Amino acid sequence: MNAQPITQYYRKNRKAIVTASSGLLYGGGWSLGHFTGFDTASAGILILAAIIGGYDIAKTAYYEVTNRTLGIKTLVTLAAIGAIVIGEYWEAAAVVFLFSLGSYLEGRTMRKTRTALQELLEMTPDTATVRRDGDLQEVPARDVEEGEVVLVKPGGKIPVDGSVVDGESAVNQAPVTGESAPVHKADGDEVYAGTVNQEGALEVRTTGAGSDTTLERIIRRVEEAQEAQSPTESLIDRFAKYYTPAVIVLAISAYAVTQNAILSLTLLVIGCPGALVIGPPVSIVSAIGNAARSGVLMKGGEHLERAGKTDLVTFDKTGTLTKGGTTVADVEGFDIDDDEVISLAATAEKKSEHHLADAIVDAARDRPTAATDGGTAVAHSDATSAEHRSVPDPDDFDVVAGMGVVAHTDGHEVVVGNRALLDDRSIDIPDHIAEYVRGREERGETVVHVVRDGSVIGVIAMRDELREAAPGVVAALQDAGIETVMLTGDNERTASAVAGEVGIDEYRAELLPEEKQTVIEEYQADGHVVAMVGDGINDAPSLATADVGIAMGAAGTDTAIETADMALMADDLERIPYAVTLSKATRWNVLENVGLAVLTVTVLLAGVLTSYVTLAAGMLVHEASVLLVILNGMRLLRH
Amino acid sequence: MYMAVRVLRRTVMNETTQLRVINFDCPTCASTVERALSNVDGVQNVKVHYTTGRVEIEYDDDVADPDAFAQAIENQGYTPQPA
Repeated sequence: MNAQPITQYYRKNRKAIVTASSGLLYGGGWSLGHFTGFDTASAGILILAAIIGGYDIAKTAYYEVTNRTLGIKTLVTLAAIGAIVIGEYWEAAAVVFLFSLGSYLEGRTMRKTRTALQELLEMTPDTATVRRDGDLQEVPARDVEEGEVVLVKPGGKIPVDGSVVDGESAVNQAPVTGESAPVHKADGDEVYAGTVNQEGALEVRTTGAGSDTTLERIIRRVEEAQEAQSPTESLIDRFAKYYTPAVIVLAISAYAVTQNAILSLTLLVIGCPGALVIGPPVSIVSAIGNAARSGVLMKGGEHLERAGKTDLVTFDKTGTLTKGGTTVADVEGFDIDDDEVISLAATAEKKSEHHLADAIVDAARDRPTAATDGGTAVAHSDATSAEHRSVPDPDDFDVVAGMGVVAHTDGHEVVVGNRALLDDRSIDIPDHIAEYVRGREERGETVVHVVRDGSVIGVIAMRDELREAAPGVVAALQDAGIETVMLTGDNERTASAVAGEVGIDEYRAELLPEEKQTVIEEYQADGHVVAMVGDGINDAPSLATADVGIAMGAAGTDTAIETADMALMADDLERIPYAVTLSKATRWNVLENVGLAVLTVTVLLAGVLTSYVTLAAGMLVHEASVLLVILNGMRLLRH
Repeated sequence: MYMAVRVLRRTVMNETTQLRVINFDCPTCASTVERALSNVDGVQNVKVHYTTGRVEIEYDDDVADPDAFAQAIENQGYTPQPA
């Protein structure tokens, strides 16, 4: 009746039970021998302790040997058998017990790092309420088909990736973005599986379910990142290949010279590169796991180790330090109506995809309508509603990268652009206009000139609000001893004004997109390890050039994740100091672990060769050092 | 891309499966399990990751018995779980 649960309990806790039994027998056997002098009984119990604790170890050792790998279990088995053969029962039992205890604790602690990500996956509900065949059905979440509509109750977890088709709510996206402040979701907005619907009911049209959700993809990537070897790890692995055989040779020669079997067995046990091999991976896995829970995807140990050396962070200005939602702050016509300036500019910019162009076109549309709209209302998909003005298409238009546009409309040539473009086309800027422009730029605004048939008729001043977090983020990096640089296509004065507001160390203005890469290369040539923060799509080339590319707002955009070394799932600048300091902490942690391992082995080796360290003591210190590096690495889970 | 890989694998009659072992206690243990699994009939390719405990097995559907994978892992003294 009760056999089933007992067997199950035993199977589940076998390691703990075996370790405890072996420990009890070891303690009992030792006390018996020490206090009573029943030596034979004591020896018997100690041998029993060694056999019980050692059975599993020996079994694995057998596999190791038949598989021609040489692991610590083989060495421990050899040491225990050797100790029994020469009559050192206490040593045999001690070695086996200490090793079992050590590896039990190692397994337990490693489990924590291994399950850190599982917690994220458990966020996804198992079932979903789907609208099927006219009614609502409860189905397993992974069976929801693309295109099906899922209902999510207030307070419920969203079971699939999709876009909202009905309802309005606030959603906590922490499992995906690490950002727990709720995000407002309404018609057309994307939602992710595993996130929590906090307020209203939502109907979501499924775009991905089961293993094809953003959360699942992120976790797969995180695991791949954790499994990828960092340079330190591969170095150690290569080293270990020679090291273990070297230890065996040393043990054999020690025996040949001293005829002391215990000495050479001890050498075998302490010579195992346990802490050295385990330390760095634990540090890196913990760091990557921690980052993942905070919405930062680290691409692997290699990237992490490089990021730990960062001493200079470059920021793209627009959309990174600023909110990226550029709006028109002011339109100024010179001897001409403001309205005419903006509508002419909007026509010229209509087909451009630049963010300044979008701002100009939006501003033109939002201007109060004068009298009536022309009957030729544009039938574009971007829904120009009745009260919005329509913006006519230009007859033709050309983008001059990093400068502006040249277009033709109604028989006029219209140029909208910065000073460089006007200089290029030998268009003269009257002094009073230049003066006005300078004034706006000193306030951190970006100004474009509107030119009709060769003469400047007006200017448009645009503002891109700074992110509230920007100055704090820059200060935090400076505190960590990191130089900060802003890269922008804006002119000198605007850049200088923004740089001043943010408190950034340096800025580079008037950069064409490809020049941002050049600037990064210059810093690298000066010996800096450069991180670049950008949006992952427009800044992809710079992100790839930098030693560490950090993409912001990457949830859902796979390209950004591809190019970057680190991707911030949320559009949250404040994760940058966290990511950089975590990388630095990881790099130190890896070094600490390597140092600790090398120190332990050196001290033990010296101790054994000078006969200060016995087999059991060597085992104790060896296992303690392994546990210590694991615990040290796991500190990064709580960075 | 992922789908394409799956389709490709199907055409050569190979399946892939994942298991997870959360109680590896040393890197060599992971290699031992890796070798034990590659000795199971019909297994084409095995990768065992010590750090994450993830076990990836590619096997010939006609020959291999997926239950044998878990058994092989248990024989080494570790507890497999569904990934």
